[in-house]
Amino acid sequence: MQNNKVPASMEIEAVQPESISESGSLPPKPKFKPLKAHEMSDGRVQFRKVSVPPHRYSPLKKAWMDIYTPVYEGMKIDIRMNLKARKVELKTRPDTPDISNLQKCADFVHAFMLGFDVIDAIALLRLDELYVESFEIKDVKTLRGEHLSRAVGRLSGKGGKTKFAIENATKTRIVIADTKIHILGSFASIKIARDSLCSLILGSPAGKVYSKLRSVTARLAERF
Amino acid sequence: MEMATSSEASLDLEALRRLKSTEPPLWLAPSAELSDTARSASEKLFSFLKTYAPKSPLDQLLVNGFDAEQIWQQIDLQSQPLLSSLKREVKKFEKNPGEIGEIKKVLEGDKKGLGVERKGLEEESDGFDEELDDGFDDDDDDDDDDREEEEEEEEKEVKGEEEEEEEDEDEDEGSESEEEEMEEEEKGKGGIEDDFLKINELQEYLEEDEAREYGIKKDSDNKKKKGGRKVLDEDEDDDDEEDEEDEEELGLFDDEEDEKADELENARYEDFFGGKRKKVPQKKSTTIDESEEDSDLDDEQDDDKAMENQKNDNLSTHEKQLKKLQSEIEKMEKANLDPKTWTMQGEVTAAQRPKNSALEVDLDFQHNVRPAPVITEEFTASLEEIIKKRILEGQFDDVQKAPSLPTKAPRELKELDENKSKKGLAEIYEEEYVQKTNPAAAPLSFSDEQKKEASMLFKKLCLKLDALSHFHFTPKPVIDDMSIQANVPALAMEEIAPIAVSDAAMLAPEEVFAGKGDVKEEAELTQAERKRRRANKKRKYKAEAAKRTMAKKARENTSQNHNDGNEE
Repeated sequence: MQNNKVPASMEIEAVQPESISESGSLPPKPKFKPLKAHEMSDGRVQFRKVSVPPHRYSPLKKAWMDIYTPVYEGMKIDIRMNLKARKVELKTRPDTPDISNLQKCADFVHAFMLGFDVIDAIALLRLDELYVESFEIKDVKTLRGEHLSRAVGRLSGKGGKTKFAIENATKTRIVIADTKIHILGSFASIKIARDSLCSLILGSPAGKVYSKLRSVTARLAERF
Repeated sequence: MEMATSSEASLDLEALRRLKSTEPPLWLAPSAELSDTARSASEKLFSFLKTYAPKSPLDQLLVNGFDAEQIWQQIDLQSQPLLSSLKREVKKFEKNPGEIGEIKKVLEGDKKGLGVERKGLEEESDGFDEELDDGFDDDDDDDDDDREEEEEEEEKEVKGEEEEEEEDEDEDEGSESEEEEMEEEEKGKGGIEDDFLKINELQEYLEEDEAREYGIKKDSDNKKKKGGRKVLDEDEDDDDEEDEEDEEELGLFDDEEDEKADELENARYEDFFGGKRKKVPQKKSTTIDESEEDSDLDDEQDDDKAMENQKNDNLSTHEKQLKKLQSEIEKMEKANLDPKTWTMQGEVTAAQRPKNSALEVDLDFQHNVRPAPVITEEFTASLEEIIKKRILEGQFDDVQKAPSLPTKAPRELKELDENKSKKGLAEIYEEEYVQKTNPAAAPLSFSDEQKKEASMLFKKLCLKLDALSHFHFTPKPVIDDMSIQANVPALAMEEIAPIAVSDAAMLAPEEVFAGKGDVKEEAELTQAERKRRRANKKRKYKAEAAKRTMAKKARENTSQNHNDGNEE
């Protein structure tokens, strides 16, 4: 008799006893329904915890309801703020449709913590192919002291116009936090934005970056 | 040409006379009669001469059936020893210069005188004088004077032995009479001469001919030579005289004669003519001296006449032709030597030719330029016709711009918006997605909004232009827009075009602002004023507060009163 070892975690449907009586013939391929979120991990609940940096504490407080509502109602994920630990905790519910919702929500909250606006971060919940890329200035070029400051200034431009220009042109959102740079957007747009920012860091003037941006985005737009 | 005759008394002169009588032109054509007579004459001469030539082998001149050449040879045979004997005789005379001197003196002294006498003597003698004169008047040089005389004598002696006879007679007679001797001498020399032939005249004729050919130079030369000769003769005469006077012996004479001969041999042109310059006046003087003498005059006159005649006489046809040719030749030579006329030279600039000379010459050259068109009435009329036609048709030959190649539609340049985007990222992607899937329902893009704005502006502009250009007024199209209401009373709204701008319709200043004057802003206030304002505010507040409390109290009192009233 062949004993199929079945892992305890997996729930299997009742195997037809008739199939065992047959000798030599393979059993039919089992058909399983998709797992629900809560059934995963053996019906255990999954958690995500996103730490809150101190400078995002008050903005979180202000925008809590804007965060809470789409997560709880849209994604059907439990969300709560652990004040003591200063973390946002996310938990699946039994009626969470998709396991990826949890991750999406976690990403959404994380994006907010990085510095993005809620309306921009919401896009993460709605679109799959949006990502957040982060890098530092020192990754591109080692700058010290005033040069670093100047580089940061170059990146943002006067009143942030350079940053906005890049954002509008590439359909991304950029957050410049001191020496850290976070870009939110689709893969290609992130690439373009990253190139522009890198050229700015390396020292090219804004006009040059603009012209390059123009050509590239035009090409991008033409393709679609 | 043969000399005509030599006459002799003892000879049978008939043949000779006949020869002499024939006309010279008859000699040109050969005639048998003349040849016969000539032969007979020569035969007789030969036989006569035979007596003086004992050595000749021939006894008689054989004439019949013989050639002229053969006859001449016979004569030559005879004459050769004769000539040699004659030479001997002459030498003898040379050795005895006295005789010769006497003879010469006589000759010279009576040379010109003898000219007349000779003519007279010619009748008697046979032209001795002329012979001598000819001997002296020859053109040959004086160096060969004696030799000329000898030659002449020899020539003449071919046919005449009279010279010998005369010489012998002279020798025999000695110095009977100088004139006779002279005459005889002259006779000897003038043996050839005749009434017909005069050596003098012959000489003159020869001179004339030569002069014609070569010019008139010869006359002067002749004159010179004549004079020179005369001088020489005079010198010789002097020498001879001296010799005569000094010595009469042969030996001395021989020496003297030798010396004389030497002198004569060594004589040069200068001795006779002594340089051209010197002698000319001398010759002239001599000629003048000679001209004094009658005889000289005659001769000289003759000579002069001859010269003049040569100048003035009509030239022969040959001479004329020659002169013509010469003049032509001279002309041509001159033309060749002169520089060519400017037309015959190659490239000639204006400076090299006389002024306005190109106008006279008919020049021919190519014109490489098309001649300019002549503008006439017809020409302009035709042009104007063309212009009118073109205008009516509207066909102008304008330069048309080449059509540029069709390029891609210019890409819409996306303006980089440097402001913070008002839409969230999600909305942007939403719009993008909608545009992709459903383009019609897509909301307007930024460029569309700009287009809208542009169209709005243009409409406004058009409205204004229409109001200006049309007679009929058309009101503004009603656009549901929020419009700002001006702070103007309703009455003013009715009026479209303000007739007069007046402040009556406007708000009153009290309506605009009610308050005391000297309004200052917070910043403008000084410290004192600020304090004053605060103080005023406090007073007002206090007053209100007091009023409130008073009102409150009043109410409470009333209420209490009420209460009290109630209670009582």
